[in-house]
Amino acid sequence: MNKGFCLLAQNNGKTDYIKQAYALACSLHMFNKDQKISIITNDVVPEEWQSVFDQIIPIPWSDSAEDSDWKIENRWKVYHASPYDETVVLEADMFITSDITHWWEELGKRELFFVSNVRTYRDELVTKTFYRKTFVSNDLPNLYSAMHYFKKGDTAKEFYNLLEVIVNNWALFYSKYAKENYQNWCSIDLCAAIASKILGNEKDITDPNSFITFTHMKPRIQGWYNVPDKWTKVIGKYFTDEGILFLGNYAQTRVLHYVEDEFLTEEIIEKLENGKTLLS
Amino acid sequence: MSKGILLFAQNNHSVDYIKQAIFCAKKIKKHLGLPVALATDNPDYLEQKYPYYKKYIEHVITQEWYDCAQKRTYRDGTMSNRDLEWRNHNRSTAYDITPFEETIVMDTDFIIGNNILLNAFDTDQEFLIYRHITDLNMDRPDEYRFNKISDRSVDMYWATVFYFKKTEGMKFFFDLVSHIKENWSYYRLIYQIPRRTFRNDFAFSIAIHIINGFQRTNWPKVLPGRLWFTSDSDVLIKIDDENYTFLLDKKNWEGHYHIGTAKDVNIHVMNKFSLDRAISEVLANE
Repeated sequence: MNKGFCLLAQNNGKTDYIKQAYALACSLHMFNKDQKISIITNDVVPEEWQSVFDQIIPIPWSDSAEDSDWKIENRWKVYHASPYDETVVLEADMFITSDITHWWEELGKRELFFVSNVRTYRDELVTKTFYRKTFVSNDLPNLYSAMHYFKKGDTAKEFYNLLEVIVNNWALFYSKYAKENYQNWCSIDLCAAIASKILGNEKDITDPNSFITFTHMKPRIQGWYNVPDKWTKVIGKYFTDEGILFLGNYAQTRVLHYVEDEFLTEEIIEKLENGKTLLS
Repeated sequence: MSKGILLFAQNNHSVDYIKQAIFCAKKIKKHLGLPVALATDNPDYLEQKYPYYKKYIEHVITQEWYDCAQKRTYRDGTMSNRDLEWRNHNRSTAYDITPFEETIVMDTDFIIGNNILLNAFDTDQEFLIYRHITDLNMDRPDEYRFNKISDRSVDMYWATVFYFKKTEGMKFFFDLVSHIKENWSYYRLIYQIPRRTFRNDFAFSIAIHIINGFQRTNWPKVLPGRLWFTSDSDVLIKIDDENYTFLLDKKNWEGHYHIGTAKDVNIHVMNKFSLDRAISEVLANE
């Protein structure tokens, strides 16, 4: 089966998601041999960055997020745009710190898989629900779409078709399935959770004990008593020449969802580019 | 393999750690039945003030006396405190000075109340230490439970009591603790520790973190039993054989306490003044 990673990236006025996707692809190549990575975008990918991508794919149909800042309205299209039979979808602001090629074997046992057990930068299981109040109070599956997997087939197609309907009518679905602690914006995590709830497939598409997870850097879930508005204000980052990423005092070994744009400095990108040869 | 307990006692002007060590050794004899070594910079005081010490302490190890610039605040409940010398720099010498092949090192204000720690000698681990404390005062806010050495930093391990075997690995560990101690101003910045004061707990925690490759792992394993704890804001008011009665600091009510008792437990009593008063009564008939 044809396997690969898909990154959906659309720049907005504030963030260069193409650059983030490029850095993510570099980090994937740095630690994972012979992986295919496609970027789905309508933005221009600079020529010097194109070589890290297997394919550059335009967003199917029209750009549903043309007037949106967060640009999540196109996320459901990944299923249709992916050139692979098995796809791991990653958000652009993620960073790979180790070899994850063994995941394919585990993920291959599923039709769909979402992470539901994210970790802190100190590798502790996140138990705080600050950002998940609506999930908890509406008894919705605790899904994180920043990294998920699908295998092309009826199961995943049914899920994404429903996801499309929910994303396009999110306020209606929220009022029915997520009315407690109502969230007045559309998020893919919540839409995916509602889709899972409707389909009754939570047990099939996630496992809170899975080793497939990622480190989530939203500040209020890091186990700090004094919480800053951005994690980058209170702990340092250091990317060594040997390819070890430190956040604070901790070497990172999991997939990192760094959240804050300022994490990705030119220095890190340069080291990623130089580190392309680490595995060769 | 020889087994025993190693204690460190270095008095300052107000706290008689040597007296605590004798009480601690008395409890060790009762519950663990193991030989005790005492490392102190004042063996003459031990001989003169407590001539009966040989009932409880088999080995006296003389350590060099040194000037100490480090101070910390010692509280005696919530309403009284004093800034005193804190002479705690010798813990990293445990590997070199212990007369035993398998050693449990403990603070002199750690009171043994059962034989659970004997199980430490029955494992194949070279190092065992507590990761968490159990606070006798359930009213104390979570942030005082020291899960980390600082809010942003690494997991806290308690050097109050630990077990080690004399192995190459442990030699490396103690050498690393010494290195951290000697370069404390650097390490406390890197590990975001606001206070300048050197603490063995912090140095041990940092050394464990470094040896683990700057990650969380399942090393070291924890000592058997629980590390019960009362802070120096609490007051030990009575020891009746294995029963300990405390006044426990009442949250948001400075100077007010509720009463708490502990029985047959191993407990760290951080209020040195109240511990001194209580053990004076116990040692009066020695």
